[in-house]
Amino acid sequence: MRLYVYCLAEGVDRLHQTLRGVSDAEVRIVELEEDLSALVSVYRSDDFQISRKNALAHHEVVRSITEQTTPLPTRFGTVVTIEQLRNYVSTHHHAIKAKLAHVRGGVEMNVRMIQSIAAADTSREPEDAGGPGTAFLLEKRREILRDEAGAAQKGQLSAWLREKLGDFIKEEKISITPSETVILARADHLISRADVQEYRTKMAKAVEERPEIRFMVSGPWPPYSFANIELEFSSQFGVS
Amino acid sequence: MSDFDQIIVGEEWENTDLSLLETLDHVLNRGLVIAGEITIAVADIDLIFVGLNVMVTSVETANEVLRKRQATE
Repeated sequence: MRLYVYCLAEGVDRLHQTLRGVSDAEVRIVELEEDLSALVSVYRSDDFQISRKNALAHHEVVRSITEQTTPLPTRFGTVVTIEQLRNYVSTHHHAIKAKLAHVRGGVEMNVRMIQSIAAADTSREPEDAGGPGTAFLLEKRREILRDEAGAAQKGQLSAWLREKLGDFIKEEKISITPSETVILARADHLISRADVQEYRTKMAKAVEERPEIRFMVSGPWPPYSFANIELEFSSQFGVS
Repeated sequence: MSDFDQIIVGEEWENTDLSLLETLDHVLNRGLVIAGEITIAVADIDLIFVGLNVMVTSVETANEVLRKRQATE
């Protein structure tokens, strides 16, 4: 029997009676180790589709227990056998417990930022770049300069956000996607659930200081961006 | 550059397209990865594209929401 896994959590003792999971399946609590459990449905491959409806059902199951506890949401489409699930939890027990302790009582907030690249952008090169070799090298140069600009922007944004929101941020992840004309940045913040309103207020004030940047703030979310143990391993040991 | 602007999205925005796209982005691109038997092996490729489409569409949708909002102001 295969299980579709929604999340791992501590202290889950009840589910909403009307709660349904992917493919309208019943959601169950599987007790694992100590007070650690997983929310799962029996997976039937002939019923399951990669669809918006199922993706939203996944989120609804995760969200349904956030009043009881702070879960570690699994990524959409996680299907395992019960043996694999127990083996995973057993082998990652300490990391899972540490991660749950880290996110406990917390929520995720996201800030998307879009900034135009200045007119003096280095991507502007003469139309006639010569032969294919020269064009290739120019393109590589543009890529390198974009990456450098992105890294610099990432540091600046992080410092600025820390200055404005530092009291609230338990953990921050920033990613930058520079393109020819804009820099797309995303900051994920883990904060206490009790601080959501104040976070929004401070963020709204911060936004006013940076008219050159377009912002979109969303949340609160279950801590999707702070749930992955493998990423933590990767960051610590430099391998994935 | 479009007129993408500050949007505060929260639980009260649940029924909007923007909130929907943000939700999909979280569910599809984030979360704990458990190495299992399947982890929707068929989706490994598909979800990457779904995710990219969500990202692109979410920006476009955000712009549309803003345009409508500004038009009514």
